[in-house]
Amino acid sequence: MRTRIDLLRWPLIGPFLRWRYSRFVLQLPLLLLALLAIYDGFVGRQLAPKNLATVSVWLHYRGLLVLAIALVGNLFCSACPLMLTRGLTERLRKVVPQLTWPLALRNKYLVIAITLVYLFAYEYFDLWASPWLTAWLMVGYFGAALLVDAFFPAGTFCKYVCPLGNFNFTLSTVSPTQISVRDRQVCLDCEGHYCVNGRVDTPEGPRPLAFHAEAEGTRYPGCETRLYAPEIKSNFDCTLCFNCVRACPYDNVTWEARNPAREWAGVRYRIDYVWLGVLLFFAGFMNAFAMIPAYYTLAERASELLHTRNEALLLALAFAVWVGLGAGLTVLVARWASRLAGVAEGGLAAVRRWGPAFFPLAFAMWAGHYAYHFLTGWASIVPVTQQALANLGLPVGEPNWQLAALVPENLLYPLQVFILYLGLMGSAYTAFARARGAGRGVAALPVFLYIAILVVLTLWVLAQPMEMRGTLLDPGSQPGGLK
Amino acid sequence: MRLMERGAKLMRMLRRWLLPLLVLALVACKPPGAEPLDAEVSIEPWPPQVRKSLIVVRVPPDLDVVELKVVGDMTHAGMIPVHGEGERQEDGTWVVRDFDINMRGDWILTITAKDREGKTYEKEVRFTVR
Repeated sequence: MRTRIDLLRWPLIGPFLRWRYSRFVLQLPLLLLALLAIYDGFVGRQLAPKNLATVSVWLHYRGLLVLAIALVGNLFCSACPLMLTRGLTERLRKVVPQLTWPLALRNKYLVIAITLVYLFAYEYFDLWASPWLTAWLMVGYFGAALLVDAFFPAGTFCKYVCPLGNFNFTLSTVSPTQISVRDRQVCLDCEGHYCVNGRVDTPEGPRPLAFHAEAEGTRYPGCETRLYAPEIKSNFDCTLCFNCVRACPYDNVTWEARNPAREWAGVRYRIDYVWLGVLLFFAGFMNAFAMIPAYYTLAERASELLHTRNEALLLALAFAVWVGLGAGLTVLVARWASRLAGVAEGGLAAVRRWGPAFFPLAFAMWAGHYAYHFLTGWASIVPVTQQALANLGLPVGEPNWQLAALVPENLLYPLQVFILYLGLMGSAYTAFARARGAGRGVAALPVFLYIAILVVLTLWVLAQPMEMRGTLLDPGSQPGGLK
Repeated sequence: MRLMERGAKLMRMLRRWLLPLLVLALVACKPPGAEPLDAEVSIEPWPPQVRKSLIVVRVPPDLDVVELKVVGDMTHAGMIPVHGEGERQEDGTWVVRDFDINMRGDWILTITAKDREGKTYEKEVRFTVR
């Protein structure tokens, strides 16, 4: 019998998260920061290291996100300020038609497509270098959340559209916490399924909100991504909003500490979930690879070979080749592993069986990359915020730009190596545990070798000198001085 | 109980109106910045390389510059800025010695000049180190 640690039993944390406005309190600082960042992105200086839009989004949001996922869980979805558009959404719902999300899109393939488009745009338009475009990206996000959730049921945006949320869902498969239930029998006896349907406290007692939308009384919405608490085995699709905790009239929902390896080894994910994890690893590799000289050399060679200087075409080709190659190799390796395990199954079934080995590695890939940027410039949030507030006319003193780097650079690569090795260990454990589950431990070897090669390649990329350039092809030197 | 109800009402109102109100609150006037600096800037060696370099700035003769600073930023957030102090030469040009261009990629140089009255002038130039 394993010991269960329910974080909701802890002082302060439990009472706070049960409070119906706790999410709003978490969202408020991020909303204020987002609005200030948007303002600075539009009207502040168009210099990425000195603008709050680019520093907060490309440095702090990403760095703190992976840190929170590794140490606690999907806290950024928990505090997502996009969900504060709900007030406007509710008003819009009264005037716009209510649609149901198409069945064909109730999976992660749209998210995969949006993620690829987003990553392409990130490279092609140098979003990381443009405060103005970054501010537009944030505005676009708010607008998309507002529109999707106005026309479709609440939670549609989070589950089926939001690339950031789904990135968080995938990476939080490594998180040390998860929503669960105290006593499954209570759930079996529960007729209201309040964790999903929500609760309204009527004078006659609690009623499921979904079926008593007009009833008077205090309302506690249920899970917007439609997760039924006793069935939760993974952090996938969980925005950690704690609606289920507040909606359960029996106080039966828990937020438990856990060993994520149990999830990697035991959960049979849907194939679209697995593809999202695989894609995130290869896209993460591409994202890091696109910052080193070898990438530009390859682009020049491709340009000569194809007789084109069209950067959009070359970049699209690079994405298609790398992600396509990754997907193809993953199918081949997974089929090989299934064959060794003596399981007769097709390519997709094999990917579904072995693909979860990519989850720890995908996390390590992004965490290693983001850790570098975050740690080299983590303190720069202070002067950029000062500058953004000064632009609003507030007396905040002179920004100290030397605060940009406070972590010795020689520690960064060893830290990245450590993170990658942890990812490799997690992936190896997943592969071998799944192979043991299939009856033959040796079946994990192709997956392990494949992943080990990818880790070596990643370590090589991270060891290269960085070249942060906005143009894929050599722009050429301007003769003479700079005007 | 009444207080709780009021608190809940306040929270509901905040959630509903906060976003539009904050957007409106952020629509403020930007304080005036520095005047544009009509200067000619060159880097030696050219094309620029990852090494300590010389920045030469030729300011217009009608501008009585008493102080000149150069800051080099990369285009990615979080990269450490490089600072340099200009020295005035006999021919009126300003030079920044040993300016540490320490990474490949896109760079933005911000040249800030101050005249005798304390008025500041600014120029931005961009270049790529390969």
